[in-house]
Amino acid sequence: MLDFDGAAKRFGPVTALDRCTFSARPGRLTGFLGPNGAGKTTAMRAVFGLVKLDGGTVRWHGVPVRAADRARFGYMPEERGLYPRMRVRDQLVYLGQLCGRRPGDVSRSVGTWLERLGLADRAADRLDALSHGNQQRVQLIAALVNEPDLLVLDEPFSGLDPIAMGAMGELLSGLAAAGATVLFSSHQLDLVQDLCQDVVIIERGRIVLAGELAELRAKVPDRFVDIRYRGPAPDWSRLVPATVIRAADGQARLRVRRDTDLAAVLAAVRDRADLVSFSYQPPTLSELFHQAVAA
Amino acid sequence: MNGLRQAWLVALREMRERSRSRAFQASVVLMVVGVAAVLILPALLKPGSTRNVGVTGPAPAALAATIVQQAHAAGITARIHPYASLAAGEQAVRQGQVDVLVDGARRLEWKGQADEQLNAVVTGAIQLATVRERAAAAGIGPGALAALLTPVPVTSIQLGSAPGRSPGDQTAVLIMTIVLFFGISVFGQMVLTGVLEEKASRVVEVLLARIPPRALLAGKIAGIGLLGLAQIGVTALAALVAVATVHSIDVPAIRGSVLAWVIVWFVLGYALYATVYGALGSLGSRVEDAQAVAAPVTVVLMVAYFASFVTIGNPAGAAARALSYIPLSAPMAMPGRIAMGATAWWEPVVSAVITLATIAGLVQLAGRVYTRAILHAGPALSLRDVWRDRTASGSGAAGAGSPDTEAARQPVHVAAGEEATTTGADLTRRRWLMTVLTGAGVLLGVAVAVFANDVIIGVAAGAGFIAIATRMVSLWTRHAGPPPRGHAT
Repeated sequence: MLDFDGAAKRFGPVTALDRCTFSARPGRLTGFLGPNGAGKTTAMRAVFGLVKLDGGTVRWHGVPVRAADRARFGYMPEERGLYPRMRVRDQLVYLGQLCGRRPGDVSRSVGTWLERLGLADRAADRLDALSHGNQQRVQLIAALVNEPDLLVLDEPFSGLDPIAMGAMGELLSGLAAAGATVLFSSHQLDLVQDLCQDVVIIERGRIVLAGELAELRAKVPDRFVDIRYRGPAPDWSRLVPATVIRAADGQARLRVRRDTDLAAVLAAVRDRADLVSFSYQPPTLSELFHQAVAA
Repeated sequence: MNGLRQAWLVALREMRERSRSRAFQASVVLMVVGVAAVLILPALLKPGSTRNVGVTGPAPAALAATIVQQAHAAGITARIHPYASLAAGEQAVRQGQVDVLVDGARRLEWKGQADEQLNAVVTGAIQLATVRERAAAAGIGPGALAALLTPVPVTSIQLGSAPGRSPGDQTAVLIMTIVLFFGISVFGQMVLTGVLEEKASRVVEVLLARIPPRALLAGKIAGIGLLGLAQIGVTALAALVAVATVHSIDVPAIRGSVLAWVIVWFVLGYALYATVYGALGSLGSRVEDAQAVAAPVTVVLMVAYFASFVTIGNPAGAAARALSYIPLSAPMAMPGRIAMGATAWWEPVVSAVITLATIAGLVQLAGRVYTRAILHAGPALSLRDVWRDRTASGSGAAGAGSPDTEAARQPVHVAAGEEATTTGADLTRRRWLMTVLTGAGVLLGVAVAVFANDVIIGVAAGAGFIAIATRMVSLWTRHAGPPPRGHAT
């Protein structure tokens, strides 16, 4: 369990972190969201002592993070970087050893990960001989060589093609399922909604929303009704007690209150339109995000 | 996992990766070959011991035999070639068939400059043969003549510049100083570019998430240093072997005890300069910044190197003595004095202790600078930024236009902004400081010139001071690069 407790950091006139308090729990994926410049990178760096906090602490299992804990952490910085002229395997084994692992163990881990990410035949090549995508994979392995209990990834999905994105998502889910605590930042809200159990939203250094994603979505008093229909559009606002978000081309999105009688809405819509599909959903993460950040 | 073990892992990586590089392997071979060549070649190039002497015209009957005999006494094998005519003899000289032509026992003809030794041998032989001829004519018997001509033994020795030293020592000390400078400078700059490469490739953030900055810097310096030590050690060994192989030159300077000191001083000199290079390297942001951020220390190293040459001429003089105690020049000046036998046993020890204390202090400062600057992204930092901690400690590393770190970087922009729009007051203050420093340099140069009674040393001292001082000011007050136009630098 990773806890930020009142973490504060200023850079001159800029407040990067304003008494941030949130947690990332083991066995779960936590998405760390926020506009650019909100303080995500600074917070992640604070976990590794790369940023010295002005106030507050970062705790691991209830104790302020120590160097020995970091040996069991994995980190992928936003700015990717490895030794360009070092061989892939040597490089990864070296990084694993720096975490205090025995060469034999590291070597085994590196072998397994290279195999899993399809890089086994490139192990003896210099990093700069690899394609951009493969270098990204090596960077990911660099964060995994110590089989970390906590994985912190800064924009792990940026620059990946859709297939690599899917593979990355699966891999992270797998690690979380195996008991690791995974915190990652991203701007891809749909992806985070699909992957993460928990989200933390930061805006101008302040945590504006944090918790279990399903719960956060359910807690909002609004619900959204999405309707697809054939034929002419009825006057939705007179039909049901709803705000029309948009309605055109056989599709409509309506906002209703959580306590609205769903059966009545459905019946009214079915009476007046040739219904194709009907869904009733809490707001998406994207809607939560925009609401939280705009507030 | 403690810092020491991590530093050792860093050192191992440096040694493994760098010793694989072709450039390094080539430099080891070149240095060994170079030093061995310098020591062995003079012996090989010494002209062979056989000389061809042409003889023509009237001469004492025993001249040929006397030349051979005299030459033998001087360690030369002389071959006599009689020529029927002067023209034939001169032709042989011009074609290099004979080294000298003796014409009528009165004149020696050479192709170019006379070979001093052969000149003496032949002239002596002519005198001796003539004296013998005249003695015979005067009726002096061979026994009486031999008694008259028994030579008084005269020996000739080379004093060198200190008791018990040969001029060969000066060459050895020269090579020693060059090797030390080379080692300190090359391996020191390896630390400089190594630090910058890690910073520029951003791998440093991955590393520092695992190990403390000081362990990374210490490991890097230690690893490159051990590699340097191996190279200097191999070179020293080559020098020992070369000297042992070529018995003909007498070089007391190249002994085990002196070479041991050379290695100690390499370690000290490297540790001192590499620490500073490492700290300065962290100020830059691209590998191209290396020379700019390191210019002040490079200048200091060069000046210390050139100054150290005074130890060769006069190892016991006041200048050499002073230089061998100043930590910045001691690593290059002290070994020379030791090799020339111009030190009491305690002198290198005291100087080494002073240098060690300086290194300890520099390590503290370097650790502070490095820790603050290494994660900073953006334009090269000035020392003043680092000192006042305007590095936004560990912010930066931002991708192009990623304001996530843009905000964090802002303070640096503020610092850079100050720099870009240097106010009139700042400019005046800097100009004033530069003027004062230049004046101080001129005064220093004059003082040194008067004191040392040597204008060139004075000019060198003054110019060196001005160069270093103004660059220091530049590094301190602004981001690496040329000072604003209109400045006396």
